[in-house]
Amino acid sequence: MKDQLVHTLTAAQQKQSLWEEFLAQLSTPGGPSVDSLEPLLRSLGEEEVCKGLKRAADAVPGASEAELLRLALRASGRIRRELEEEANHLRDTLRDLATPMVRIWKDVLLVPLIGSLDSVRAETLAERLLEAASASRAKVVIVDVTGLPTIDTAVGGFLIEMFAALRLLGTSVVLTGIRPSVAHTLVKLGIDFRMVGIARDLEDALRMSLELVAGEEAQKKKHSGLPWNTAGEGNHDAAG
Amino acid sequence: MVVHIRREQDIATARQVVKNFAQENGFSLSDVTKATTAVSELARNIYRYAGTGSVCLRRTTRDRGTPGLEIVAVDRGPGIPDVARVLSGGFSTYERSLGIGLAGVRRLMDEFEIRSEPGAGTLVRAAKYRRGF
Amino acid sequence: MVPTVRVAGCLLVPIQIDLDDATVERLQQQLLHEIEAERAQAVILDVSMVDVIDSYISYTISETASMARLMGCRTVLCGIRPHVALTLAQMGVRLRHVAFARDLEHALTLARGRLTGGTPGIAPPEPRIRS
Repeated sequence: MKDQLVHTLTAAQQKQSLWEEFLAQLSTPGGPSVDSLEPLLRSLGEEEVCKGLKRAADAVPGASEAELLRLALRASGRIRRELEEEANHLRDTLRDLATPMVRIWKDVLLVPLIGSLDSVRAETLAERLLEAASASRAKVVIVDVTGLPTIDTAVGGFLIEMFAALRLLGTSVVLTGIRPSVAHTLVKLGIDFRMVGIARDLEDALRMSLELVAGEEAQKKKHSGLPWNTAGEGNHDAAG
Repeated sequence: MVVHIRREQDIATARQVVKNFAQENGFSLSDVTKATTAVSELARNIYRYAGTGSVCLRRTTRDRGTPGLEIVAVDRGPGIPDVARVLSGGFSTYERSLGIGLAGVRRLMDEFEIRSEPGAGTLVRAAKYRRGF
Repeated sequence: MVPTVRVAGCLLVPIQIDLDDATVERLQQQLLHEIEAERAQAVILDVSMVDVIDSYISYTISETASMARLMGCRTVLCGIRPHVALTLAQMGVRLRHVAFARDLEHALTLARGRLTGGTPGIAPPEPRIRS
């Protein structure tokens, strides 16, 4: 009760000092600046400020309402840009939080997809994932779709594109977390994700990934045993 | 801005112009590449099938001022008799790349329109907008 | 002429120029001759400097790979940049008979693998519904 009273009283006081400051500027030869309107707009809102400006213009000789409103518009624009910037920053943060990319093993990246994917978010996600896979030279990316509520044609098509792009980088993909209802929808839609490995759970996915990494290592070892210069001289593996 | 397509080098010029344009307007790296690739396809189609034509580039906006890039490719070439079939994707019976080229442009851009009349020419309008987040 | 390097029985082709149509066609002829002359086991195309790969370039690469394959030579595309990969995938481009490598080390591993019936192409993406 007391807190509220104090709040109301100080708010009124603050309001008064803001207007006082502004009116003082209004009667100077240079007139008020955009800066002086900003705090007023911030604490009182557009509607109240507009009313106040009208009355000030009527009362103070030489003050033009149109000119004052023009200033207020510029101040309001400044505030809007600031808020937009803040919103963008929040969106960036949210985006990073929404799709963590975790290196869970040497050469293995885990990407849990969470929430609903619209086309804008999907494209941004694909960009970030491709950058991360390329920069880290990940051999395998595990995509866990447990957190996706549904996979419709649009999301399915997007995932297929993303997997195809990862393959072009030379990265293998293991997909996991397809729930029964999603599996049902996917088959009805004719999406089979045949270009990637599919694991039943995260443990299985990790095992598959490690097998893929080991397979590549084994292949590398097998061939590094050969003298380098003989590889091209007649003993082609090539069978055509 | 207009790039006239007369020689093969003009395809590269068109690519470069679009690339700069998209970069200056704050497109992400992959959107720059997508727009550049789309223009490459359109310019090549003009050079290959019509001989000459032009690629026009314009800044445009969408709801709430989202900046975008509009590309209009025009030629007075032979035209495409069966647009629907060409757009269905895959390598068409057209020599090499026309099929996947146009279908690809449609996939890469946010807006896509084509008007073609056999014997009169082809007009393709495509637009891509800067992405929010 | 695009300069090529011989590494471990493979032909390494670092592509550092803008690929226009004429260059791509010349490159195809050049590679086929060099594969024969060097009896190369594989061609490794390093495209990490290439900014745009459109349908014509990918078609020619794919075509070259098919020809190379008939000569007993694998084709490995190495170091595709992420935004180029996304563009190719979104266009639904198919690159037949081509293997993809992250880096040169991976490319050499793939290059020395057995030549099989061909790497399956990338399936064209499902139709996308844009909101």
